[in-house]
Amino acid sequence: MTGTPDVLVVGGGHNGLVAAAYLAKAGLKPLVLERRKVVGGAAVTEEIHPGFRCSTLAHSGGPLLPRIAADLDLASHGLKTLRPEVRVLALSPEGKHLPLYDDPARTATALGRHSEKDARKYGEFHASLGRIGKMAAPVLSMAPPDLDRTEAGEVWQLLKLGKDFRGLPRRDAYRLLRWGPMAVADLVAEWFETDLLRAAIAARGVYGMLGGPWSAGTGANLLVQAAFEPHSAGPASFVAGGMGALTSALADAARSAGAEIRTGVEVSRIDVRDGKAVGVVLANGERIPARAVVSNADPRRTFLNLLEPTELDPDFSNRIRNYRSSGAVGKVNLALSRLPKFRGLDGDAPAMLAGRIHVGPEIDYLERAFDAAKYGEFSPHPWCDVTIPTVLDPSLAPAGAHVMSVTAQYAPERLREGDWNGRREAFGDAVVKTLAAYAPDLESSILARQVLTPKDLEDVYGLTGGHIFHGEQALDQIFTMRPLLGWARYRTPIAGLYLCGAGTHPGGRVTGGPGANAAREIAADLRRRA
Amino acid sequence: AAVTEEVFPGFQFSVCSYVVSLLRPEIIRELDLPRHGLEILPLDGTFTPMPNGDYLWRVNDHYKTRREIARHSRLDAEAYDEYGKAMIEMGRFVKPILSMTPADPTSRDWKGFLDLLRLGKRFRDLSPGDRYNQVQLMSMSAVDFLDQWFETDVLKATMSASGIIGTFLGVRSPGTAYVLLHHYMGEIDGAFRSWGFARGGTGAISNAIADAAREAGVEIRVKSPIAKILTKNGKATGVALASGEEIFARVVCSSVDPRLTFLKMMDPKELPDDFVEDIERYKFRGSSGKVNLALDGLPEFKSLPGAGAHLRGAISISPSVDYMERAYDDAKYGQVSRRPYIDMVIPSLTDPSVAPPGKHVMSCFVQYAPYNLKGDWDEQREAFGDTVVETISEHAPNLKSIIRHRQVLTPLDLEREFGLSEGNIFQGELTLEQLFFLRPAPGWAQYATPLRNLYMCGSATHPGGGIMGAPGRNAALKLLGDWKKGKVRA
Repeated sequence: MTGTPDVLVVGGGHNGLVAAAYLAKAGLKPLVLERRKVVGGAAVTEEIHPGFRCSTLAHSGGPLLPRIAADLDLASHGLKTLRPEVRVLALSPEGKHLPLYDDPARTATALGRHSEKDARKYGEFHASLGRIGKMAAPVLSMAPPDLDRTEAGEVWQLLKLGKDFRGLPRRDAYRLLRWGPMAVADLVAEWFETDLLRAAIAARGVYGMLGGPWSAGTGANLLVQAAFEPHSAGPASFVAGGMGALTSALADAARSAGAEIRTGVEVSRIDVRDGKAVGVVLANGERIPARAVVSNADPRRTFLNLLEPTELDPDFSNRIRNYRSSGAVGKVNLALSRLPKFRGLDGDAPAMLAGRIHVGPEIDYLERAFDAAKYGEFSPHPWCDVTIPTVLDPSLAPAGAHVMSVTAQYAPERLREGDWNGRREAFGDAVVKTLAAYAPDLESSILARQVLTPKDLEDVYGLTGGHIFHGEQALDQIFTMRPLLGWARYRTPIAGLYLCGAGTHPGGRVTGGPGANAAREIAADLRRRA
Repeated sequence: AAVTEEVFPGFQFSVCSYVVSLLRPEIIRELDLPRHGLEILPLDGTFTPMPNGDYLWRVNDHYKTRREIARHSRLDAEAYDEYGKAMIEMGRFVKPILSMTPADPTSRDWKGFLDLLRLGKRFRDLSPGDRYNQVQLMSMSAVDFLDQWFETDVLKATMSASGIIGTFLGVRSPGTAYVLLHHYMGEIDGAFRSWGFARGGTGAISNAIADAAREAGVEIRVKSPIAKILTKNGKATGVALASGEEIFARVVCSSVDPRLTFLKMMDPKELPDDFVEDIERYKFRGSSGKVNLALDGLPEFKSLPGAGAHLRGAISISPSVDYMERAYDDAKYGQVSRRPYIDMVIPSLTDPSVAPPGKHVMSCFVQYAPYNLKGDWDEQREAFGDTVVETISEHAPNLKSIIRHRQVLTPLDLEREFGLSEGNIFQGELTLEQLFFLRPAPGWAQYATPLRNLYMCGSATHPGGGIMGAPGRNAALKLLGDWKKGKVRA
C-alpha cells in the first residue's frame, strides 16, 4: 500500500474482513491488522493433529448474509458452500433419533413416527417462522436508528418496516411480539409435544448464552436467527475446507478490492488525540496513523484495553464494564480414526450425520446443563452441538478418518472451584463421556483431542470473557442497545473510532452483518468529512 | 384474595394478601376510602437474618439504612442512594402507564398508532441515563440488574426477592427486574416505596371499597357463586347462579381470571378459536404458598434476639442469591423448595386487635411451591408446612415451641378456595409476554372481550396483580366510554 491508510481495521475476524472489503469497494484504503498468523478470528480452519484440519471455533455459518456473498463475489474467490440434506439430527438416548431435513415435508414425515400432532403442526410452525424471518430480515442490514436524530432515509426505512409488519397475517404479528420476550421452552411447548423436537429447536434460543431454555427472552434469539435463516431447523451452512476457507475468501475479496492485510501484528493501543482516533500503536512500538480506526475486537477489549481510561467518560466506561460478556461455551475438537457408530443409526449413516448433531434430548436436560453454570460449574452432562465436517468434505482428514467438532455448553467463564487450566481435561472428559452414551465406540476412535475452554477463547482468540458473540445477546443487549443504548450505530464517543464486531448489531455468528453495516456508516462519515 | 378471616378462635388472618402498597392513590382519593374505614399502618423495614449470625435490617429511615448497609459495604451504601433515585425516576415513567388502556400495535386504526407514538415519545423524552435504566429494567434479571449497583450478597438477595414474588421465575431469570420496579412503585400517601398493613387486616381494604361502592349505588350479593355467563347472539346477557337463578344485565364484567371466565363459565364455542387457543395457553403456574401461624409468643432470632422493632417489619428469609436461585431450581423440576424463600410479617405487633392479648399471628408467604408438583398437594401439604417451619427455625429456634395453630395453604388450596387458577396470586404470570397489550391475550388487552357486552376487570388485565385496583378502575373507565359511545347495546 502506498501512503497512509484511510482506515485501520483492528482484528481480522470475519467482520473485520467484511468491513475492509466494503470500505475498499467504497474507494477507501483499509489496512487490516491481525494479531494471529491467520486471519479469520473465530472462523478459522486449523490443524489439530497431523493431517486433520478442523474449524476450531465456529463450525457452521450464521449463515453469511447472501447479499454479502454476492456483493463480494465470494464464489470467484473460492467459496464453496455445502448443504446437507439433514440439517439437524436430534439424538435420542433410546436410539429413536429425529432428523430435521432441509425439506420440511420430509421432517413432518419423520416426526409422524414420534407424534401425529407434531407432524401436523410442524409445517405451520415452519411457515410462520419463515414469514416472520423474511419480514424482519431487512432489520439486519440497518444501522439501529438513533432515537434523537433519526435521518430522513431511516424514517422511510422504519416506516416501510412498519408497513411490512402490518402486512403480516395478524397471527404472525402477535407471534413476533409475544415470542421475543418468552422463554424458548414455553414457545416450543406451545407448538410441540415431542421432547426431541422441543429441545432441538429450543437449543437455538440459548446457543452461546449464559441462559437456559427457561430463561425469558430466549425466544428473541430464535427470532433473530429466523431473520438470518428462516428455516425452522436453523442454519446448516458449511464451507468446503472449513470455516477458514470462508474467511480466506473474504480476505481475498478484500485484497482484490484494494485492502491490505497484515498478520502477526498486535495492536496495543488506539492512538487518541484531542478526543479523536488518529491511528494505532503496535506492540512493537510502531505507530500507524490513519483517518479512522475501526475495531473488530469486542466492546470491552476495545474500550477497556485498547484505550487509555482517561479518554472515556466514566459513565460510559462503567456501562461497558456492565456489558455482560461472560462466556458459556467450550469447544472440543477430535481427530477420529473412523466414523463413530451411533446407536440406532446403523443403515442411515453417514448421510444422517452430515449436518449438525444435537445432543440434549429434553428441555430439562438443557436446563440442568445451565443450572451448573449458574453456580460456577461446567455441566456434567453438557448440551453438545456436534458436526462431523468430513462427512461432506473428506479433504479435511486422511482417507477414512474423520474430524468431529463439538460446541459444548455450558462452560462458564468463571469457575467457582479451581481454574480452567486445571479443569480443561476434566471438561473434555465430560464432553466425550456424554457423546459416548450415544456412540459407544467414540472413545476408542479418538486419535487426538483439542479442548478449548472459555479461558482459551479469551487468550488465543481474544474474545473477552470467552464470549463467542462478543457479549450476551439478551433483550437488553441487542439492536439499538448493542453494545449500549445510544451507541449502537457503530460510532463511539471517540471521533474516528468505530466498532464492526459481533458486539454491534446484528450481533454474533458468522454472518458478516456487523462488518457490512459498520463499513457503510464509516464510508458515509469519511465522505462527509472529505 | 384480600380478606381477613378468623381462622382460629381469636386469631384474625389476612389469609392471602398480607401487605398493601400498590393500591392506586387515585382510587383511595376518588372513593374516599379513609372515610369508609381504611387505615393503613406503616410496615417498617425488612429484616434478613443470615446463617453466619449477622443480619441485614433495612428500615424506612434512609440514614439508618445507609449506616446499616455501610456495615456490610461502604460502596453499597453510596450506591443505595443512587439506586433509590434511579428507581423513583423509573417509577415516574411507568406509573402513568398503569392507568392506561394498552395500545394495540397491530391495530389498523389511527388511534392505536397514535397511542404507540405517544408512548414512544415519552420514552424519547427521558434523559439518556434514564432510558438506559428503563430498557434494562424491562429486560434484565433482578440479579443482573442489581449486580451493577451492589456487591453485598444478602442485600442483592433480599432486594431481588421482590422481583420473583408471584412468578414462576428465579432471581436470575430475565424479566424479573421489571417486577422489582412493579413492587418499587408501592406508594402510600404519595410516599414512594412504603408498605403497610391495613388496620383489621387486608380484608379491611375490601370492606372499605365495598362500603364506598354501596354508597355510590352498587348492590353487592355474597354467597352467590356464578355457574355460567349467559349469552345470546354473540352477546353477554347476564349470569346464571349456581342456585339456578338467572340475572340479566346490559353488561357483564368479569373480575375472575380468563380461564374461569372463558373456559369454565361459558362454552368456548361462543368464542373465536384463536382467542380460545390464546386463553388456553395463558400461563398461570402458581409458585407460592402461604403458612399462617397463631403464636403464643414471639420468635427469637439468633442473629438479633429480643422483641425489637425488627419484628414489626417484614422478615425475609433470603440469605444469599444462590439460596434464592436454588429454591427456584427445585421448583423448575416440580418440587417444593427444600429451603424456600419466606417473607414473614407479624401484624399483631402493629395492630393488636387481630390476636388475643399476648398472642400473635404470623403470616408467611412462601416460594416456591409449584402448582404442578411431582406428587399430590393434598398429601404433601403438611410436609410443605414442616419445611417452612423448619426453615424459619434455623434462624429462630424457639418457633416450634410457640406455635399454637398452623394453617397451610398450597397453590391448590388457593385455586379451590379463592378461585385463583393454578393458585397464581396475580391471576396469571407477570412475564413480559403477558403484560400490557398482551395481557391476557394479544388483541384483547383493552378490557373488552370477543363476546360483546362482556368485559374483564381482574388482575389478568393490564396492569396486573397486587392489591392495586388499577385493572378495575381502567376497565370501568373503558366501559363507561364505550357506553357513552353507544357501543354497549342490548
